[in-house]
Amino acid sequence: MPRYAMVIDQERCVGCQSCTVACKSEWDVPNGGARTKVRQTGTAGQFPKLTNSFYVSQCNHCDRPTCVPACPTGATYQEASGIVRVNRDLCIGCGSCVAACPYGARYINASLGKVDKCDFCASRVEKGLQPTCVTTCPGHAKIFGDLEDRSSDVFRLVYRETARRMESSTVAIGPNVYYAGKPEHAELALASFAPVPPRLIAPTTVWRSFLNKFVYLAVGATFLGQAVAFFHQLSSGEKQFEE
Amino acid sequence: MASSTIEVAPLPLTVERAEAMAQRQIKKHHVAIVLLHWFNATSWLLELSTGAGLIVSPYYRFAPVWYLQVMEGIFGSRANMLRFHIAVGLTWITVFLVYAIFGFRNYLRIEVVQHEIGLDNDDVEWLKVRTLRLLGKSQDVLPPQGVYNAGQKMFALLVYGAVPLIMLTGLIMTFHWFGTAIVAWAMVLHFFTVGMVVSGLMIHIYMGAVFPEEKPAFYSMITGMVNELYAYQHHFKWWREVKVQEQAWRERIIEQEKLRAGAAGEPKEPAPSESPSVPKERL
Repeated sequence: MPRYAMVIDQERCVGCQSCTVACKSEWDVPNGGARTKVRQTGTAGQFPKLTNSFYVSQCNHCDRPTCVPACPTGATYQEASGIVRVNRDLCIGCGSCVAACPYGARYINASLGKVDKCDFCASRVEKGLQPTCVTTCPGHAKIFGDLEDRSSDVFRLVYRETARRMESSTVAIGPNVYYAGKPEHAELALASFAPVPPRLIAPTTVWRSFLNKFVYLAVGATFLGQAVAFFHQLSSGEKQFEE
Repeated sequence: MASSTIEVAPLPLTVERAEAMAQRQIKKHHVAIVLLHWFNATSWLLELSTGAGLIVSPYYRFAPVWYLQVMEGIFGSRANMLRFHIAVGLTWITVFLVYAIFGFRNYLRIEVVQHEIGLDNDDVEWLKVRTLRLLGKSQDVLPPQGVYNAGQKMFALLVYGAVPLIMLTGLIMTFHWFGTAIVAWAMVLHFFTVGMVVSGLMIHIYMGAVFPEEKPAFYSMITGMVNELYAYQHHFKWWREVKVQEQAWRERIIEQEKLRAGAAGEPKEPAPSESPSVPKERL
């Protein structure tokens, strides 16, 4: 079973947004939404030692995804290959997963009324093709492959070289998009776009913290009430003529 | 006053009268209501069983995992189960919409609803005595009740409040109305309102299908009829309403007969003073 991962070489990325455009056209992403986009950190440091970096954000297909348990219907699920996917037939567009993602990788597709996000172009990968952003990137900054395959470029970059995950001390859920290049580029990207701790939306909090207990209590109480009456009925026996 | 011959409070019954009453059937439910009730019951059974299988987030899931797997096995996939849930739900809403439009004059006007399911003092007393009697703590006589007893009224009020919300939140989730935030709240409200109705259903099903004293009520949901003795003992106020109507109906017939006799020029008297003993076998 493959275990898919992507490495983004921040030294090769020039912020041209080709991947953004390719992805949008491949997946009919409406204006205002994006499955992937290139964000600029802006310049940092003191002249003359200035740095600048591009951070390509997309779904990280995390080892311990926070979006999957947040989904009420199970529309968001993780395949054995590690790809986190959305089953549009089950999605009702409630936004629970959008708030649960530390990387802001999800958006609600307003024309569908359902959530959408990067799925490593799973339908292309199934056919043996590369994700569309990878084939489009003019600088070959995006490298996609199988971490179980020791001869793959991603294996080399992740396990033999220094590609790193965008994890912080507070958010470490095993993202499978790695960042290669100079360490300061990754540091800068992490400082500018640090993953935010996953949030539960208010309806979920209300539901799990007290509303479900209230409903269980109400149903339990009436069930118990009729059970008591029923046992009273059984123990007193039925009469041939009522009243 | 024709209705003055009908008692205003339940009297101790003689054996002859009780036996005669037990033989006479009076109409409690229109056939449309009987059909609607069982359509509704079937819809609820299907919607509850599939709905429970659709809530899978470990944050608030309540069905055990094996149940989710069984339901998925029955439907082939959870997506199919959701389609089924939506199809049944939309049918349910459509049928009740038709009922609301065509049955409005008969069942849903505010006076009718107020008369049938509004709680009065007798009802409050009834709830107290009923509960104590169920627990074997009292032998008091239950206060006279209208066409629905106080328990049925309470359940009806709960349902009248919850069902429009269940329908609305279901539609919001199905068609993604009003955007993401509203859909998320609709989900919680859907669960909550259904939960409240289910808590009422526990009593409703026991009282309707199992509790011995209300057995005629269960059969009335099949045949539409109850015997008069049951009506007299359990729904006295309603029994009286029926009797008053019956009396009025008799008087109308007698009146018509008199007119016809007058028009035909026959001098024979149809004895109007004997109205209480006019044919018994009507209802």
